[in-house]
Amino acid sequence: MATTSGQEHCPLCGHAFDAAAQGCRPSCPLAKGCSVVCCPGCGYTFPQERAGLAGRLRRMLDRVERRRTGT
Amino acid sequence: MRSPSNEALELAGGALDGKEIVSADRAVILVGNPNVGKSVLFGALTGKYVTVSNYPGTTVEVTHGSATIEGRPWRVMDTPGTNNLLPMSEDEQVTRDILLSESGYLCIQVCDAKNLRRGLLLTAQLAEAEVPFTLALNMADEATSRGFAIDLEKLAEALGVDVVSTVAVERKGLAALQAKLGGARPSRFTPRYDAAIEQAVATVVPMLPRAGIGPRALALMALVGDDSLRTWLAGRLPAGELERLDRIRRELAVRYPESLRYVVARQRLASVDRLHDAVVTRTGASATSGWTRRIGHASTHPVWGIPILVAVLGLAYLFVGVLGAGTAVDFLGHTVFDGYVVPWTDRLVRALTPSGPVQEFLVGPAGAATIDRNGLLVGRYGVVSMGLSYGLAIVLPIVATFFVSFSVLEDSGYLPRLAVMVNKLFRRMGLNGKAVLPMVLGLGCDTMATMTARIMETRKERVIVTLLLALGVPCSAQIAVILAMTAGLPLAASLWFSFTILLVLFLVGWLAAKVLPGRGSDFMLELPPLRIPQAGNIAVKTVARIEWYLREAMPLFVLGTLLLWGLDRLGWLRVLERAAKPVVTGLLGLPAEAAAAFILGFLRRDYAAAGLFQRYQPFMEAGTMTRTMEIEVTVALVTVTLFIPCIANFFMIVKERGWKTGAGMAAFILPFSIGVGAALNVLMHWFY
Repeated sequence: MATTSGQEHCPLCGHAFDAAAQGCRPSCPLAKGCSVVCCPGCGYTFPQERAGLAGRLRRMLDRVERRRTGT
Repeated sequence: MRSPSNEALELAGGALDGKEIVSADRAVILVGNPNVGKSVLFGALTGKYVTVSNYPGTTVEVTHGSATIEGRPWRVMDTPGTNNLLPMSEDEQVTRDILLSESGYLCIQVCDAKNLRRGLLLTAQLAEAEVPFTLALNMADEATSRGFAIDLEKLAEALGVDVVSTVAVERKGLAALQAKLGGARPSRFTPRYDAAIEQAVATVVPMLPRAGIGPRALALMALVGDDSLRTWLAGRLPAGELERLDRIRRELAVRYPESLRYVVARQRLASVDRLHDAVVTRTGASATSGWTRRIGHASTHPVWGIPILVAVLGLAYLFVGVLGAGTAVDFLGHTVFDGYVVPWTDRLVRALTPSGPVQEFLVGPAGAATIDRNGLLVGRYGVVSMGLSYGLAIVLPIVATFFVSFSVLEDSGYLPRLAVMVNKLFRRMGLNGKAVLPMVLGLGCDTMATMTARIMETRKERVIVTLLLALGVPCSAQIAVILAMTAGLPLAASLWFSFTILLVLFLVGWLAAKVLPGRGSDFMLELPPLRIPQAGNIAVKTVARIEWYLREAMPLFVLGTLLLWGLDRLGWLRVLERAAKPVVTGLLGLPAEAAAAFILGFLRRDYAAAGLFQRYQPFMEAGTMTRTMEIEVTVALVTVTLFIPCIANFFMIVKERGWKTGAGMAAFILPFSIGVGAALNVLMHWFY
């Protein structure tokens, strides 16, 4: 499961960046193809939330929120 | 007017592949802190959108293009983001060298309007450098939405340069910026330093050669002992003058307990703070008004921040230790795995596969007890009975509750504040301020944090930071198991553990600070508003982390099982245990079987701790831990925490620092961790 392109917000420094090519996978000696992204601003690493099960959960919560607010 | 030459590009070391250089008489250089929208502004000015990844350690990229401004052609150069003209990294040195080597250019300083204080620190240095510039307050919309009101006229008056409000991504304010560019001029804002520094500056200024930046800035750089500048000066000053400069610097340095770099930065910051407070006001529109702002402020306060830090860590400790290690492990480990999964799988595998190595690998040797309260690992190395049990029934509930706590820290905005508080503590330990970032990142994953050690300036600093990470900074999964283990210990034993780890970090950090040339740096982090965490966000973050954990850790748990199985089949496990017995039982006072836990520790330290947890958890639950057991747990936890880094971290150390350094660190850490464990064993038997 590799990272997917899209806007990410770093939970540590707040920097907004495109996750494309910011994955740690080219550098990690073991976990090639994982979904962890590295913030280009401060280097903080965090798993991308738009991929895998977390991504599905996020999309479901977004749909619920849109229905609730009628947008 | 001379435009930026290729000399700057050579200094920068950056290739300009594929970038067209257009001949023009006028030149403008974009400078600014990292991540303030410089590249977006560059794209808007030149018509090209350029994405620059200022990732620490990557090839420094300097990009330039051409623009038509007010009907005339200009060359535009985009520089790497910098917080300081006294460079602390390769990126910052490139920007400083460009300004130093060029002449006749104009600058646009791009500043994040919602973090004006950080931008003004650079403004003050550009003013000292007598660089002609116009100040672009970018992201002005975000600053307004966060409740910042900046008096542009007052700021322009104080600086003596034009100040333009911009939103580069929406091209707002660009026309005004272009119109003001031609009027760029040096700022009259001059931070004043104490009498001794001003006297030294006055003495040094006449000695210095002409450069692209003003003599006052050059004198300050020379006085604080900038190594990269010294090389530049060495080629331009007679040896006698260079020696005189060094003498003045030494005489000045002895006046202060801190480094001159720190003293100058602190006094400059005081000037910037006065200017900042005069031009910035907070309006009622702030997203962080009321109690959240007050708590947010208190959370980084030198006094009030500490009880808040202790309370936050205490709550996480209770949540992980009681709910994760107690209730969740009890249910998953005892009820689900020991009660159903392991026995059922055991019967199924033995029925379907012939007895032999494959069967033993999957469920362990025939006849071995499914639950062995008194033994440690022996006879339990089946993939299901050990690998999956450890991974899913013991470690997963613990790390899952820890991930919930960590997600709350992230989503509430407390995490950056935690970094600020840790920075303050680390500075008191004598560590270089810049070393804090990899340390904080190490609490997430030591492997990736080892990579960010690249931001340290010298090889020596990078090695020390890598060593501290490998030695004493536990990763998130390891912290979780540590919290679970210490929750089952009396407070006194937990304090022995915490004190020992902090003491080791302090001593190694203190020694590192003594060994390293004493240069600190500012630790700058934008603090987002403190807010009430959202349940949906926490759920998504936790699920994302659990997925990551399962993908990364579980294969290693199976690999560890395979390793133990192989060692046992070949009879090497008992040989290793016998060989390690004098150390494990004699020095550390642990059961001989604990040797296997340390072998697993090289694969993942949380895996090793899980073995220890499984052994002692029933006694912790029943409240029948003896004094000897409490000492054993504390000594084992300290030794495992300080033990050689996990295999992923080790490979990263080798990749980043080379085989010799990697092997050297392992050779140091292995006896060191055992030595500390042995000393603790003796001390606890005397005083606990």
